[in-house]
Amino acid sequence: MPDLLTVENLRQIFGGRNPTHAVDDVSFRMPAQPTIVSLVGESGSGKSTIARIILGLLQPTAGRVLYDGADIFKGDRKWNRRFRSEVQAVFQDPYSVYNPVYKAERVLKLVIRKFGLAKSKAEAREQMEEALRTVDLRPEEVLDRHPHQLSGGQRQRLMLARVYLMRPRLIVADEPVSMIDAGMRASFLNILQDFRDNHGISTLFITHDLSTAMYLGGEIIVLYQGRIMEQGDTKIVMKAPLHPYAQLLISSIPTPDPRQRWKEDLSDAPLTEIGASGLSVAANRDRCLFADRCPQVMDRCWGARPKLEAPNHDDEMSARRDVACYLYD
Amino acid sequence: MPALLEIRGLSAGLRGRRAVTQVVSHVDLDVQAGEILGVVGESGCGKSTLATAIMRLLVPPQVLQSGALTLRLRDGAVFELLELSESELRELRWRHLSYIPQGSMNSLNPVLRVGRQMMDTLLQHGLSSDEAFKRSVEALELVNLERKLLDSYPHELSGGMRQRVIIAAAVSMRPALIVADELTTALDVVTQRQILQELAAIRDELGATILLITHDMGVVAQVADRVAVMYAGKIAELGTVNGIFETPLHPYSQGLIGSIPRGSGQRVEGLPGEAPSPWNYPTGCRFHPRCPKKFSPCQIQAPALLPQASERWTACHLYDAEVGDDA
Repeated sequence: MPDLLTVENLRQIFGGRNPTHAVDDVSFRMPAQPTIVSLVGESGSGKSTIARIILGLLQPTAGRVLYDGADIFKGDRKWNRRFRSEVQAVFQDPYSVYNPVYKAERVLKLVIRKFGLAKSKAEAREQMEEALRTVDLRPEEVLDRHPHQLSGGQRQRLMLARVYLMRPRLIVADEPVSMIDAGMRASFLNILQDFRDNHGISTLFITHDLSTAMYLGGEIIVLYQGRIMEQGDTKIVMKAPLHPYAQLLISSIPTPDPRQRWKEDLSDAPLTEIGASGLSVAANRDRCLFADRCPQVMDRCWGARPKLEAPNHDDEMSARRDVACYLYD
Repeated sequence: MPALLEIRGLSAGLRGRRAVTQVVSHVDLDVQAGEILGVVGESGCGKSTLATAIMRLLVPPQVLQSGALTLRLRDGAVFELLELSESELRELRWRHLSYIPQGSMNSLNPVLRVGRQMMDTLLQHGLSSDEAFKRSVEALELVNLERKLLDSYPHELSGGMRQRVIIAAAVSMRPALIVADELTTALDVVTQRQILQELAAIRDELGATILLITHDMGVVAQVADRVAVMYAGKIAELGTVNGIFETPLHPYSQGLIGSIPRGSGQRVEGLPGEAPSPWNYPTGCRFHPRCPKKFSPCQIQAPALLPQASERWTACHLYDAEVGDDA
């Protein structure tokens, strides 16, 4: 069985004279079995660009994206239609995706009509109610309301209900919880886990918030300036990150426990070399891009880009992950 | 020791065509000199309205309804903030009271250099241009920025750097109180950590007091000394950061802390229901429709913020000896 998603040597370069390498040789895969993969990184790390390419919204400069074994940019109309129903997007802003003049109901009705999901009105109603219950919304509380009468958490779950109606195989969710209240985040994430465990729906979860990635579990891919620094089992990577960048990122999570405060004081640490747009300005990319900030930098880090490969350590913590760092060569 | 800022019975609302809708209701709070006091709550709970009311920057339709704000400076000067005229306030703001509003890193003027914008305020407060330059450079150093940044334009800086410029400008007059609203919300974790640690260093160096308004329990746990939990326009609970996180008493604080997604493996349930909007604040305890521990008095009577164990105040009938099950 082919992989659900294969991303091969993806590159996205924006601009002409001073090109920005938003995505720089990124490869990863999501297996056919339902999984959750989190793509994490700071702003400018290329995570949203990767999401846009996978959704088919942006042609990459180089590289391929295969869905179920076929290149997503080479499908015919029939294939594209299938792709658009099997791969669904959830975006960051639950306020701007709705048309304010229509009731929430319409979001679900449109999907049912466009994809011919129901044969009768009664069946359509039944499907809508089932989808809403799956995402912990009560139909009577939502269907007759206008978007502005719903909270951010409700709107984002309504999006998941719409997605659920389609029974996709893959959800690409770009920062879906960053605009909803902390109290509601957990329930949104629980739904994604339910989708994976009970409905066979995989999620590619894009976030800058490592604590949500940690909560979701599955696999994690840590991006920095368009490149993968480390990837592997979320639990293992979060517990003992190998790449110095992953270490810095994970140790900077504001743990909600006053007895586990940040250990080192970074208030005098050098600032990052990230330009105004948030995108990388490094001119020479034949090196480790984290070298300027790395506390363990060595001479060879400046010479050539480190390969993303399994660390050369023979212990359990090194298993099931890859790291792009000469420390583990 | 008297508090640096004493907030008493502060209420603020929104003026509608027929009536004023109260957003912040009778807030009593002492901000102690030199502390970092975190104010947390879900969106719409009145955190930002409280901050703007303290700064006396409410704009119509927001109105201040009642209350008193007393600012006591270390040199003995006392200001009744709600009784000052606009010109007296202008003298006070920036010099003694600084405000970093939400999203202010995007409020820098794009056509003026950073240095000009930082020095403008200082010149306005009567400093000479030499002094203003010196102060600006010092303030930039406090947030780990080099002086050459004074010559750059805002678009040349990253989000983290722009936020640092805003903080530097806010502390350049060495104010006694800094009110920071969602200071690091739009920033990455590493930048967030650096900026919060810089803020704590500024507190230590300048002896400033910081009111940190945020929805992020992690941020509060990392840097605050005390925490005020707000719900539907009122303070639900107030205490030391360790106390609140280890033994939250108010069911809302318990829910807020319990609903934080932590490490993988353990599943947490979100707080059920939604926070009410000011147009339909429930009667009695405003949390009662969502409260798993509600009992008969909760729908009728609003609980007062009462002292509990040491350094702890909670507004909940569960901890009020005078309200029994039969009340």
